[in-house]
Amino acid sequence: MLAPACIVLLLLFGGAVVGLVRSSLVTLGGAVSLDAWRGLLADPGFADAARFSVQVAVLSTVLAAAAGLVLAGLLRSRGTLPRAVLALPVPVPHLLVATSAVLWLGPGGLADRLLGALPLELIRDHGGLGIVAVYVYKEAPFLALLVLAACGQGLQAREEAATVLGATPWQRLRWVTWPAIRGPLLVGSIIVCAYAAGAFEVPLLVGPNSPPTLATFAFEATKTDVIAGQGTAAAALTLLSLFAIAIAALAVRFARDVEGA
Amino acid sequence: MRRPSAVVVATGVLFAAPLAALVVRAFADVWRAPALLPQRWGGRGFEAAFAGDDAIPALVASLGTGAATTTLALVIAWPAARVLGERRLHHPAPVFMLLAMPLLVPPYAVGLGLTEWFLRLGVTGTAAGLVLAHLAVVLPYTVLLLLSGFGPEIRGLEEMGRAAGLSGAERLRWVTVPALRPTLATAALVSFLVSWSQYGTSLAVAPEQPTLPVVLLPFVGADPQAAATLSLLFLAPAVLALLAAVRAMKAPA
Repeated sequence: MLAPACIVLLLLFGGAVVGLVRSSLVTLGGAVSLDAWRGLLADPGFADAARFSVQVAVLSTVLAAAAGLVLAGLLRSRGTLPRAVLALPVPVPHLLVATSAVLWLGPGGLADRLLGALPLELIRDHGGLGIVAVYVYKEAPFLALLVLAACGQGLQAREEAATVLGATPWQRLRWVTWPAIRGPLLVGSIIVCAYAAGAFEVPLLVGPNSPPTLATFAFEATKTDVIAGQGTAAAALTLLSLFAIAIAALAVRFARDVEGA
Repeated sequence: MRRPSAVVVATGVLFAAPLAALVVRAFADVWRAPALLPQRWGGRGFEAAFAGDDAIPALVASLGTGAATTTLALVIAWPAARVLGERRLHHPAPVFMLLAMPLLVPPYAVGLGLTEWFLRLGVTGTAAGLVLAHLAVVLPYTVLLLLSGFGPEIRGLEEMGRAAGLSGAERLRWVTVPALRPTLATAALVSFLVSWSQYGTSLAVAPEQPTLPVVLLPFVGADPQAAATLSLLFLAPAVLALLAAVRAMKAPA
């Protein structure tokens, strides 16, 4: 019964991974070569792009998780309407949030008109603050909804029991609430981090021209050199995929250690 | 009726205003700074967005790819979701790892890797290629959402159907599908949305057959009004998804 889904995924996703690695190792003439990898690792633009991608992904994830926790805390005891409002950005494509960000935060945008000149130029900011702002806006509600889903009636009953047994608010948070919400928060954060590291429609719209993110770097490589660029892009994307998988593996390992402690 | 609190109103403004501004921008023929409202309203955005040859085929490609991917994903995911949802597997971890991988690996990487094979198969730039590439990204979401609907309750209902003499097809038609309807609707909607939002995958496997997001992006810098107009089209399924979610939240358990 599992076979159809597993075979399709192994063929399509497994095929994509094999195709990506093959693209980075096999030249157009069919010879195996490490040239694409050597070229990539020697390119100072690649190091900048890698650093920038990690910086944007980590900052977006940490800020989105913190904002998500605050939102969940504020809306926990409220009804359906606030949660529906909170859910508003979740199904909206990233590209649309970035489009809206340009409209609001770009030079002469609505924020400028409402508040006078903004103290920071977020769109095309060299530190990637525009990209981070879009990801936090889009992902904080997603993480808040995951946390709120874990805060069901069972948790409330356990919290009340802890209070009756004399737990202080801090002890209740540390020993009852946090263990219930950290799992969904961690899983959500891994997805956010992987997405922020790998997607490129948001950096294309609100990111700086230089440095690019790794995905934008790969995209530009295919544009500037149609033949060799394919291998460079494939090598960069292989490393990016490994980074995302490594982050997920580390997070899961860390979570297991915490559970076992 | 209780009045909404300041927190709720602030959350509402924070999350609704940015998207609402897209509606105003789409119908603002002239909107020069520092004015807060447009100087002239009109439909120039529609004319500009659809003036080229790209927008309508892109809209059709996005709708067709989304519908085909969703249908295929539901059919393929159903048996796997059933096994995983009923916890019939002793060691489900490898299957869940396989399902998690496409959520972690960048969509552009999946697209570029598939292009390597699609070129040989002659499906690059075709509708079939787009659907297959989207399926690689959509299928894990479909399985993970659908499995939450299966469990002892559905099994119990099906047993009752069997005892009442219903055939396999009749049980599926009259028992399983109606009982799973909310989960099925959510899985279908999210699967469609994931396909609808794909940018990197589509750009890699079918640059010659652009989808709506691929056509929309260059407009953002070149013609913000046309970009906002296309954004409203792009937003429509998300609004439907949200309305459906609110309805599901309000429905009695």
